[in-house]
Amino acid sequence: MPDMASLAHPQQRAFNPYTENGGTILAIAGADFSVIAGDTRQSEGYSIQTRYAPKVFRLTDRAVLAVNGFAADGNMFVKKVKQRLEWYRHAHAKDMPLRAIARLIQTMLYARRFFPYYVYNILGGIEEDGTGAVYSFDPVGSYEREACRAAGAAQSLVQPFLDNQIYFKNQVPAPGTSHPAHLPLPTVLSIVIDSFTSATERHIEVGDGLEIYIVLAKGRTLHGTESIGGMQELTTTDDGERVFVVRRDLKKD
Amino acid sequence: MDHFPTNWGRPRNDAFDAYATHPIHQRPYNGPKDTFADGVQRTQQPIVTGTSVLAIKYKDGVMMAADNLASYGSLARFKDVQRLHQVGNYTVIGAGGDMSDFQYIQYILEELSVEEISAQDGHELGPVEIHEYMSQVMYARRSKMNPLWNSLLIAGFKDGKRFLSFVDLLGTTYTASTLATGYGAYIAQPLLRKAVEGREDIITEEEARKILEDSMRVLFYRDARSLNKFQIATISSAGVSISDSMQLDTTWSFAEDIRGYGAQTQ
Amino acid sequence: MTSIGTGYDLSASTYSPDGRIFQVEYANKAVENSGTAIGLRVKDGVVLAVEKLVHSKLLVPGANRRIQTIDRHIGMASAGLLADGRKISQLAREEGSKIRKMWREPLTVKALSDRISLGAQAYTLYSSVRPFGVSTIFGGVDKSGPSLYIVEPSGVCLGYHGAAVGKGRQLAKTELEKLKLSELSMREAVMEAARIIYLVHDDNKEKEFELEMTWVGDESNDLHLPVPDDLLEEAKSRAKAALETFE
Repeated sequence: MPDMASLAHPQQRAFNPYTENGGTILAIAGADFSVIAGDTRQSEGYSIQTRYAPKVFRLTDRAVLAVNGFAADGNMFVKKVKQRLEWYRHAHAKDMPLRAIARLIQTMLYARRFFPYYVYNILGGIEEDGTGAVYSFDPVGSYEREACRAAGAAQSLVQPFLDNQIYFKNQVPAPGTSHPAHLPLPTVLSIVIDSFTSATERHIEVGDGLEIYIVLAKGRTLHGTESIGGMQELTTTDDGERVFVVRRDLKKD
Repeated sequence: MDHFPTNWGRPRNDAFDAYATHPIHQRPYNGPKDTFADGVQRTQQPIVTGTSVLAIKYKDGVMMAADNLASYGSLARFKDVQRLHQVGNYTVIGAGGDMSDFQYIQYILEELSVEEISAQDGHELGPVEIHEYMSQVMYARRSKMNPLWNSLLIAGFKDGKRFLSFVDLLGTTYTASTLATGYGAYIAQPLLRKAVEGREDIITEEEARKILEDSMRVLFYRDARSLNKFQIATISSAGVSISDSMQLDTTWSFAEDIRGYGAQTQ
Repeated sequence: MTSIGTGYDLSASTYSPDGRIFQVEYANKAVENSGTAIGLRVKDGVVLAVEKLVHSKLLVPGANRRIQTIDRHIGMASAGLLADGRKISQLAREEGSKIRKMWREPLTVKALSDRISLGAQAYTLYSSVRPFGVSTIFGGVDKSGPSLYIVEPSGVCLGYHGAAVGKGRQLAKTELEKLKLSELSMREAVMEAARIIYLVHDDNKEKEFELEMTWVGDESNDLHLPVPDDLLEEAKSRAKAALETFE
């Protein structure tokens, strides 16, 4: 028999406008390059929805945005950022600088402070001074520039690894030496690939495919990294920064 | 003037207010309610529902299947409902979830189609456009906290390209070579992936039909909200065709041999 | 033009002493200046054809269409001010949308023409508006079969077997009267429509014209569509041939 008290006050089951779609993203800044990566699995609960849903997007020749969290919000957010960047191009006849994109993203996220885009953003690229940069955001727009950041389902697995490998946390340099301030591109790519193979191994929401975007500062070459399999150039101009994407497989189980 | 007859002849206060001292602005308000006010009725749950929709890519196009049942809770309420719907000349949209919301979706798509046709500009809506439109509609409605309670599959073939995608009540979207909504996502999707992944360009129409039929049979065995009466839509360079309703051969004789639960405990 | 200078022609809201509304008559003049438009209601459908006068060689072929689609199954041909015709088509499409929203069924040609004529009539009543400068032919296939109506600037709305408006309407009507319209097929109607348009076109006064032709009925699966190119070309060449032997 139904509980009379619950009949007196009709219970409300509110519609939940959010979900989590898994996956992980990360970005690492070098001295004159930036690497932004994400897996391509999209899931809900224990189900894989698709093995290929990109989470990393080229915004300009010097800016790449990785978006992780609620996929519908993520796609809409990227769509709106791209639209704002196009308007900027129409108004100013140039691409928006990276740090301006970062502030734009914070403004757009905070505009939805009371119905947030449920997404963690990582913006990577090249600053106007030619340095590699990574900006990371929380869903309501708090942001800072960093050397590296992981976000998403396997953040808790990957970030400590990056802290150790990039920031050399808990490592003591050999006497008379010091840790390097920036790592070279091949080392960074190895760390990225290892991060994702490891996350794939230990986290059920990570896997299927890996997309690594590489942004190079003006004049810098890939030296030594060209040979990596599945690389494709996405640059649209020939006198500025260059963008590449590397597509690799991850385990599908 | 108070335009609401329900307020006429009432004291300004519920306790009689002989000298009309009660502030006039405290009268009951009958105008439109604020968005955040209580009692605005929105879809909080689906009522008459359809179950799984399945779809796969194959050599010449895309194929989709859905049964003809619309359930009212656990009651098999409507047993001749079409859940596959053609939009324009290149697209089929299949729906699980609330059937009245799906009928509304059919209406807005009809409205959109007529608008496009009457423009007579040489453009035609293909599956890509229908998918983008539906994903924007679904996301906009969830953002108003008033969702259209459906999971939709959109399949099509235009300009020599296959297309297959998913959109749901949250505005979540994705594409893949096999898709399934509802229970099908748990029961049929693994079967479909095993049969299709990596073989999208090999599978013939006959084989594709068999894959879907086999999956529909499994769903009929295991999904209590399903019906052994369903349709298959085929979309290829030849256009769209949605089959008549069909039945599958099923075997239930094993049921009486089952022991260990239910009525027979010995 | 006895009306000029009497003052009774300045506003649609004032009758002349002999009971005329000159603004409406002037609107009809606008229609008479326009290329002919005809409609044929036949056995299994409706054919619409327009003599679209091309006033400049700079225009892209096919520009400024005068036949428009209202709904899947209804088309509209107008004679008169092109922009007014487009306003009529906009109103007509909204009507289709309203009917579909309320009844979940397609608009009928009769209901459409009636509603549009009400709007046209309203514009004959007030000093602040001008009557529509178009006569519109609505043609389509609905639950009552093929239908054809004309809505005039006065707001008059009548159904026809064969309809003609614009410059050459008198000659077109005489030609239409010779046909057994209710026995023709759509294909035959296409031939006749093309012939009539070519016939009423006055080579001496107007230089160029484009034949614009659509149909709706069995041949087009009840959709309002342009007549297929090959059929249109055949109709044109037969129309030209018929012109040689005429008179």
